[in-house]
Amino acid sequence: MLTGAVVAIAVTMLLALVRALLGPSVYDRVLAVNMFGTKTVLLLAIVAFVAGRDDYLDLALAYALINFIGVLAVLEFFHQRKFGHVPQVANGSDLQPPENEATPSEREP
Amino acid sequence: MTSLLTVFLLVLALITALGVVRARNLFAAVMLMGIFSLLMAAVFLLLDAPDVALTEAAVGAGISTVLLLSAMALTAEEELAGGIHPTPALAVVLVTAAVIFYGMFEKPLVGDPEAPVNTHLAPQFFELTREQMEIPNVVTAVLASFRGYDTLGEVIVVLTAAIGVLFLIGPDAPQGSRAPSGGNLAGGGLKHHQPLRIVGKIAIPFILLFAFYVQYHGEYSPGGGFQAGALLAAGIILFGLLEGREAAAAVIPTRVLKAMAAGGALVFGGVGVVTLLMGGQFLEYRVLLDHPVSAQQLGIVVIEVGVGVTVSGVLLLIYHAFAARGRG
Repeated sequence: MLTGAVVAIAVTMLLALVRALLGPSVYDRVLAVNMFGTKTVLLLAIVAFVAGRDDYLDLALAYALINFIGVLAVLEFFHQRKFGHVPQVANGSDLQPPENEATPSEREP
Repeated sequence: MTSLLTVFLLVLALITALGVVRARNLFAAVMLMGIFSLLMAAVFLLLDAPDVALTEAAVGAGISTVLLLSAMALTAEEELAGGIHPTPALAVVLVTAAVIFYGMFEKPLVGDPEAPVNTHLAPQFFELTREQMEIPNVVTAVLASFRGYDTLGEVIVVLTAAIGVLFLIGPDAPQGSRAPSGGNLAGGGLKHHQPLRIVGKIAIPFILLFAFYVQYHGEYSPGGGFQAGALLAAGIILFGLLEGREAAAAVIPTRVLKAMAAGGALVFGGVGVVTLLMGGQFLEYRVLLDHPVSAQQLGIVVIEVGVGVTVSGVLLLIYHAFAARGRG
């Protein structure tokens, strides 16, 4: 039963990792990371149960509490970038690359 | 099952690390770094190191992503093609890896009862912790008491990192070094996203409460000053993301943060000076009170508070330094 749960979580982690690696859009990667975080919380909880160590649940709790800060930071980042102008480095040279034609969806719409 | 799972997670970590190196899109690299941190936390827990895993959880899950994105806001989103010739660096890395692999064959297996660490050091720590401190979490005892010098050094390193960042990009940095930038994390926050604000505001008190639990329960369960400081900073950074950096700076002003970063290290070092004045060695907590066990516990609690205050102050200072950059 627990082994089945661990295998299911492991497979889900693998799939989420594949999505994070392949992309192609920003949303795919954000969701993949979020999903991966959730699976980690579940995995930690199961490990705590198998090991019989209640204090391990503290870790799962810590993740569950602050996992979404990263996602919020991503939202804020694209929210600001959408309205901000193109970032420049101090010497004035424009580092923004030309639009990547292979993956146009990388850009925030 | 545990070792199989550990191997599986390490393979995933390897794939993720290769993905980070290969990714030309920096945003994708930041996201993959987040996954890498999650994987490592799970591996640490499977290797029976919950204190380390909690540190990884507290720092990796939220703060490092926020800081990496803040840094990314100051630069371009794509890595520039060319310009870097990786061959010499690659050769150095390969040779180092070969040496490490060679050394690994000489190492005892994980959990080997005949390993030197399990025959000399660990039993001694367990024995002395039971005798002298009577606290269940031996990791806290090692960190705060047996290896107090090392921990004091770590706290000073953390403080030095904050001083370095503030010199480079802090609000008081030379004007010429400030780059104008549009996309940073300094703006008004996600004020216009009601669901996020409401959910976030429900979460913040629990994060702060959990931080204090990790701080003051560190002798009995995984955790301590480092983890608590990171969690506390995560709570305040969450508030900053939701309400804007200025709101977070109004809660704890930068000068208070500076005092926290330096004051925590001062408390830690001060305990050492007090023990010297009371006739003991540096950081020998035994002399603090008449009862040696209570004295050890008092010393550990006080220096853990110092560690927590420094770590939270430093992390928030770095967050403010990055988020405020480009506003001037």
